[in-house]
Amino acid sequence: MRLGRTRWELAVGLLASAGAVALVTAAIEVLKLYVPVLSLGVLYVFAVLPVALLWGVVLGAVVSVASMLAFNWFFLPPQHTFHLRDTENWAVLAVYLVTAIVVSALAARARRRAELAERREREAAVLAEVAGDLLAGNRLPAELERVAGLAARVLGVPHARLALGDAEPDGDESVYALAAGARRVGTLLVSAEHAVEPEAAERFLPALASLLAVELDRTALEAEALEAEALRRSDAIKTAVLHSVSHDLRSPLTAIVAAASGLANPEVRLARADRDELVLTIRSEADRLDRVVGNLLDLSRLRSGVVLPHVELWPLDELVGRAIEELGPAADRVAVELDPDAPPVGVDALQIERVLVNLLDNALKFSPAGSPVRVQGEAHAGELRLHVLDLGPGVPAAEREAIFEAFRRGTGPPRSGAGLGLAIARGFAEANGARVWSEDGGASGHFVLALPIAERTPTVV
Amino acid sequence: MSRVLVVDDELQILRALRTSLRGAGYDVETAETAEQALTAAAVRPPDAVILDLVLPDGRGTEVCRELRTWTSVPVIVLSVVGDESEKVAALDAGADDYVTKPFGVDELLARLRAALRRAEPSPEPVHEIGELRVDLESREVTFAGSPVQLTPHEFDLLRLLVRNQGKLLTHKAILQDVWGHAYADESHYLHVYVSQLRRKLEPEPARPRYILTEPGVGYRLVDPARRGS
Repeated sequence: MRLGRTRWELAVGLLASAGAVALVTAAIEVLKLYVPVLSLGVLYVFAVLPVALLWGVVLGAVVSVASMLAFNWFFLPPQHTFHLRDTENWAVLAVYLVTAIVVSALAARARRRAELAERREREAAVLAEVAGDLLAGNRLPAELERVAGLAARVLGVPHARLALGDAEPDGDESVYALAAGARRVGTLLVSAEHAVEPEAAERFLPALASLLAVELDRTALEAEALEAEALRRSDAIKTAVLHSVSHDLRSPLTAIVAAASGLANPEVRLARADRDELVLTIRSEADRLDRVVGNLLDLSRLRSGVVLPHVELWPLDELVGRAIEELGPAADRVAVELDPDAPPVGVDALQIERVLVNLLDNALKFSPAGSPVRVQGEAHAGELRLHVLDLGPGVPAAEREAIFEAFRRGTGPPRSGAGLGLAIARGFAEANGARVWSEDGGASGHFVLALPIAERTPTVV
Repeated sequence: MSRVLVVDDELQILRALRTSLRGAGYDVETAETAEQALTAAAVRPPDAVILDLVLPDGRGTEVCRELRTWTSVPVIVLSVVGDESEKVAALDAGADDYVTKPFGVDELLARLRAALRRAEPSPEPVHEIGELRVDLESREVTFAGSPVQLTPHEFDLLRLLVRNQGKLLTHKAILQDVWGHAYADESHYLHVYVSQLRRKLEPEPARPRYILTEPGVGYRLVDPARRGS
């Protein structure tokens, strides 16, 4: 097929050459009426030049010789013979022939250069397109087919296949390894019946390989960076956990050690009331330690998803009462305003108690010592809403969701309380189909717990 | 009766310390915030301050720095493990000593006594610390009666430690005093000089009894006989 094309090209070339020589001959025939014929021989260059440009130096040389012969035959006396009357005309013809051949060689070379430049430009454009695609964030595996198509265009074949790394040829495919340095980055496969232009392959494939290598490296680095970021984050969380937990464990521990060592120290003389106070401190701080440890365990249970609520019907005031009991002496600040006739809720009592203890603990902790914390109930569209209101500073709008994440605390000064409480409250609430959130309380704290009202109200017989 | 100002935002800790310190014969005043602490110290200047480093309205270090602008009252800071840099900052800001939470009242009382003792520095040029005798005026040093030859820098270092006997001096404070401000961060100089000094003074340089190391913080000179009393 390729051979056929060449033969066809040759035929057209020969025909065009004959036409060109004929045309120039005709022109000289006309012009010799006005100009001495000897000086018109140079016009044959106009036949040589286009042929050399379009069909190369060989045909250019053929036209050079043919036009020299034509000039001799048609115009140099004796006409219509290849003899020459004046011997110096031989020199004229020789000079002409050399000039024509040199011109055709130069023209052909210019033509080749232009072609080469054009091809390189095409290759560069393709490489730029591939680079642009990849830089635009398109993933290499998704782009393989497109890149292969572009490569095929550059290499002068109708179709090519591109694979990352090594690839087995399919049937009779030629294999072109794409290597950047010593590294094999990909494989280009071209059907063996098409010949790849070897020069183009030599120039284009290494460039394509480097591009692929850069992209592969970039993807790998990106993956590494993502992994490092994930690790860093989990490290940051672990640090926050440790910091927070160690503070929450150490504060009650400090009070206990100080009180106990005071009791044990013979230098310290204590009145009866002081002894009782120290003992009470040890007792209540031990309870606080226990609550912190309990919270940590709760959180790990919630995190691992093993919380299964045991749902029963409960009147709200009983749930609130149990929570307040657990808070110990601090509960004196809590004022409860609940409607005793409110419908019961269907929840796991122990878990909702954890929610309430943590909400109340939070309110007590973040409001001024001695100030009241109010608990109010309200029925609202199938839910029973419990409002916990304190006189603390409240939560800024931007943080109202964030404070429910584990180990987050509001901005502002660090206080005791590991920021575990609200995360646990939300975890248990959600496990029970309830919701908990923080509301805009103006300049005071306002938390809401919405509990699902039980569908069937039990009939008391 | 010495008056002690205790500053901590944890009410339970405050209560336990107040009761124990009162039982040990101190007059105790308490504060929960930096602001309260500074006000209380200004209204009735205490003989010593026990100061938590973490307060709701600021760092204990700031309180310390503020106090040092007008008083040399001994300050003992309460720090926690993992807060080393804050502890050193507080000591650099003028705190005298620290205890790490959780601490026993015994330890706190010992530190408090030492701090109160230091509050009245001896005007005498001759200091006797255990078997160590230092004459600051004539620059003569003897240990167990035999003279000790010190280089000028070694003597300057010892003089600083002697003048602040019992007090914890941070690396930075020592370097600035002995070598000047330009050397404040060159702790390795200090480690070398301290070990030279120990070789000349300590009976067992590897197990120092006079010049004690507080790792990562600094050094203090103590009287081995009175240690822990």
